[in-house]
Amino acid sequence: MFFKMAIRNLLRNKRRTLIVLSSIIVGVAATLLYDSINAGMINQMLVNQINSYYSHIQIHKQGFNDNKLVTSYIPDYKNVEEVIQKQDYVRNYSKRVIAFGMLSSANSSAGISMLGIEPGNEKKVSNIYKMIIEGKYLSGKSNEILISKKMAEKLEVTLGDKVVAMAADINGKVNSELFRIIGIYRSHTAEFDKVFVYVPIENARTILGLGDNVSEIAIITNNSDSTLSYKKQLVSAMKNAGVESNEVEVSTYQELLAMIMYLIDIWKQTSIIIYLIIALAVLFGVINTMLMSVFERVNEIGVLMSIGMRNSGIFRMIILEAFMMGVVGTLIGFGIGVLIYLPLSNNGINLGMYSESMQTFGLNNIIYPALDSNVIINSIFIMPLATAVGAIYPARKAMKLQPTDAMRHV
Amino acid sequence: MEIIRLEKVDKIYKDHGIPVQALKEINLTIDKGNFVVIAGPSGSGKTTLLNIIGSLDVPTEGEVFLEGENITHRKKSELSTIRLRKIGFIFQAYNLLPVLTALENIEFSMMLLGLPDKERHKKAMKIMEELDIAELANKKPNKMSGGQQQRVAVARAIVNDPLLVLADEPTANLDSKTANSLLDLMQKMNEEKNITFVFSSHDKKVIDRAKKLFILKDGMIVNGNGS
Repeated sequence: MFFKMAIRNLLRNKRRTLIVLSSIIVGVAATLLYDSINAGMINQMLVNQINSYYSHIQIHKQGFNDNKLVTSYIPDYKNVEEVIQKQDYVRNYSKRVIAFGMLSSANSSAGISMLGIEPGNEKKVSNIYKMIIEGKYLSGKSNEILISKKMAEKLEVTLGDKVVAMAADINGKVNSELFRIIGIYRSHTAEFDKVFVYVPIENARTILGLGDNVSEIAIITNNSDSTLSYKKQLVSAMKNAGVESNEVEVSTYQELLAMIMYLIDIWKQTSIIIYLIIALAVLFGVINTMLMSVFERVNEIGVLMSIGMRNSGIFRMIILEAFMMGVVGTLIGFGIGVLIYLPLSNNGINLGMYSESMQTFGLNNIIYPALDSNVIINSIFIMPLATAVGAIYPARKAMKLQPTDAMRHV
Repeated sequence: MEIIRLEKVDKIYKDHGIPVQALKEINLTIDKGNFVVIAGPSGSGKTTLLNIIGSLDVPTEGEVFLEGENITHRKKSELSTIRLRKIGFIFQAYNLLPVLTALENIEFSMMLLGLPDKERHKKAMKIMEELDIAELANKKPNKMSGGQQQRVAVARAIVNDPLLVLADEPTANLDSKTANSLLDLMQKMNEEKNITFVFSSHDKKVIDRAKKLFILKDGMIVNGNGS
């Protein structure tokens, strides 16, 4: 009967209830969409980085991430590789050689990060092969090179042109190698495109004089959310296999992409702040509405008290009315938000007009909003809570009424 | 058997900061099954006295006993429970809850007592049939006449089998015929169910039916010693 009474009390002044309800509906729907777009952007940023280069886990020689020296190749990598092969959570892995040098064409030259890759395995840990916009992916033959569109423009070269890569080997001697451009790619990250070129691993090893060593092993696991636990398992397995932890460093994408993880944290905090600001606006609306509602019903509250309703019951009744408004508003707002979200999440939001800015942040032109648990929890719980909190003051006002005074109220 | 006893009750309230003595040295006893009327002119303190008897208000001085127990200094929540379980109220302006139907209004106090849905529905319907208002069950107060509303209010007041029912000028807003019919009803309840009624009224129709009459003037009982 309490629920029935609360609903009927809310319907007594339909317009007033509708105004507060609308503010909750719009607030929930808008924040849900804002949050899901943000989540979609950040997820995309993260996924793009993982897929284009970082993978889930990377293994290097200890200290490589701080100082990327050619001489910092993984010691006894075959032993490490054997350990990796035994881990059931490892879906794929690929070995890489990394060099820093210069790429020259007949017209120009540019600084590069040269990734020597195993073309077949690399396809299983990164999707660089999907980003080719001209030509084709490395076939496995020697002296093929994959460069970005940006690099091609800078060097004024095109498919089939020859370029020379130069880099210092492990002894400090500068070596060079002639490559033919077999493919031109365009990734989602402008900074990546500025410097990364791909060559067969054997060519990179030759230039650097690395023998059959590797600088990096990239791993894709079965579950990207469990990388921290996989890292622990891998470190422990390597220790058991005699690989000392002070020689080899295992890094998860969370560690490698610290800036993006930091952005995710900021986004989560910002989104809570935005929710709180909207909730605060709703809260004041609720205080106003419920105060008016209480003042209009002083006499009734007096009657309720006189027939034996306790103060706590009066308090609960007022809170329930506000809470119901919050719940109904949230459900409708959530429903509307999801209805708008669904087609957007399927078709995406085309932000092609901001293409350059998007690429600067490692984003595609089309953003797909994502409803993650954070977004859902924020949307569902904050508004009903805010409405209930907003009703506390009016409810306390109602509780403080004296039945005899209240019943005299006209 | 004594239900209510007031001993040397004073009530002083402040009206815009000025102390006003509403009741002065009230000594009064009400027995089970009585049909009591507290009469007096406007401003004599009838409603204040009724509120103190009904534990809606507390005396400034003196003691209030309910079934021999001193309830003067009980907590607000305890007084709420006393009102819920032992006292029924009938008001001049009926004061039914406007969002509830007649049936729901009657059921409401039973809900506060925690009675299950079916039981309270059955009990409410029974009392409505007894009072000949069953056809009003699904009507809201704004669809009922004053007399009908007051009958529903009577049903609400007696449905929990209270120790006493307090009626504050219950006929004041009713025409003579309806008022008499309502008083007949309450008298019947008093005689058949032995429900104790205490009225505050200056209506002759009510005063004439009193088994016991207290006349108040300037906050004092002026007809006898209140026993």
